[in-house]
Amino acid sequence: MSKRTKISLSEEELVLALRNREKIAIEALYDMYSSSLYGIISRIITDTPAAEDVLQETFVKIWHSFSGYSAEKGRLFTWMANIARNLAIDKIRSKDFKNQSKNQEIENNVTFIDEQRNTVYKPELMGIKELVGTLKPEQKSILDLVYFKGYTHVEAAEELGVPLGTIKTRLRMALTLLRKHFN
Amino acid sequence: MEVEDIKAYIESGILELYVLGDVTRDERLQVEAMAAKHPAVKAELEEIERSMEAYAEHNAVEPAESLRGRVLNSVLTNLGDDSIFDKSGESDKNNIVVLTPAKPGNFYKYAFAACLALLIASGIALINLYNKLQESKSQIAVLQTDRQHFANQVNFVESELGVLRDTTYKFLKLNATPKAPAGAAVSIAWSKQKHKVWVDMASLKMPVNDQAHQYQLWAIVAGKPVDLGVFDSSPDSTGMKEMKTIAAVKTDAFAVTLEPRGGSENPTMDQMMVIGKF
Repeated sequence: MSKRTKISLSEEELVLALRNREKIAIEALYDMYSSSLYGIISRIITDTPAAEDVLQETFVKIWHSFSGYSAEKGRLFTWMANIARNLAIDKIRSKDFKNQSKNQEIENNVTFIDEQRNTVYKPELMGIKELVGTLKPEQKSILDLVYFKGYTHVEAAEELGVPLGTIKTRLRMALTLLRKHFN
Repeated sequence: MEVEDIKAYIESGILELYVLGDVTRDERLQVEAMAAKHPAVKAELEEIERSMEAYAEHNAVEPAESLRGRVLNSVLTNLGDDSIFDKSGESDKNNIVVLTPAKPGNFYKYAFAACLALLIASGIALINLYNKLQESKSQIAVLQTDRQHFANQVNFVESELGVLRDTTYKFLKLNATPKAPAGAAVSIAWSKQKHKVWVDMASLKMPVNDQAHQYQLWAIVAGKPVDLGVFDSSPDSTGMKEMKTIAAVKTDAFAVTLEPRGGSENPTMDQMMVIGKF
């Protein structure tokens, strides 16, 4: 782990500082969210240099298109996660990436990713791991496909061979179970 | 909308897809409208967002420590560039050189600048030309005035010469009375047939009159004075001056008196300066 003290701000302070284009804002943003965003990116892109490039692009895009974020429409993280996910998906779907990378099959990196990488130790999140473990396999797979693999629900329905309505229901049930932990 | 309907809307799973960005534009607008209208929908959205954020934290992967400096540098060195950072490592790996087409945006920018410069240059040239035109016009006006002046002068001299050539004119020198200084004299020309009288201003030998007075020429016809007009005496008077027409063909004499400026109806006899007869 790093010896450097990580910068941390409240979401309101952070949004204000980002709007004012303060240097500290992007540093705090990186310290607070890089691991969560890299978690999303690295599950979509298993190739480390490519995933790192996408993380970099993500922060550049967050910084430059910050005027497009509106706090009324949702949380900062939701907005950033969608940017990271979209950039990662664009990357794996781009022609030259397909050509050069030895793409693994989706199933290979969805479920076993946590064994391959060091996930961040967060005491307040202890217990959620067990909770995720309690999800039914079909709930976990839909969550992984849609949340981490960047599948649209239509694509996920095709991949899993289940109707659209079922996909939506499973996704909702999976998230509802996760939510109970925080309530 | 009924409470049940809102519940059904929430249960449909659309809010989860919205948070994941997996909705069409219409669906997105619909969710945003619903959230603005129904607090229950907004609260549900918050919950979903928080849980997804927690899920991401749970699945967080710490990026390499060296990446922090690289990412922050690329953000801060790209301050002026709004486009997404171009994949840094990519070009080294790729031997294919992408030929970017010339940006049309630049062409129009330069074309516009060139047009603007041309417009300004044209404007300046036009103003210069206009000024020169005005100058020429005023020169022409001056020349025309001059020409008119000369034409008038030629006409005048012609008519003076006409008097001298015309055999019907007779010349008469009016000599000084005791009232006038010695040597005072006025020469006149008279044509009976043409009823015209001229005073030869060039040979005028009269004291210079003041601003309040003028000399007046009279013809004495059948013992009565007839007004023939006024004239001034000045050291630089030239040419001949045509006086009023005279109807009479027979005169006793011609005389000049000094009168108040503008002339008088009857001559002031004690101010008679010169007199002469044919």
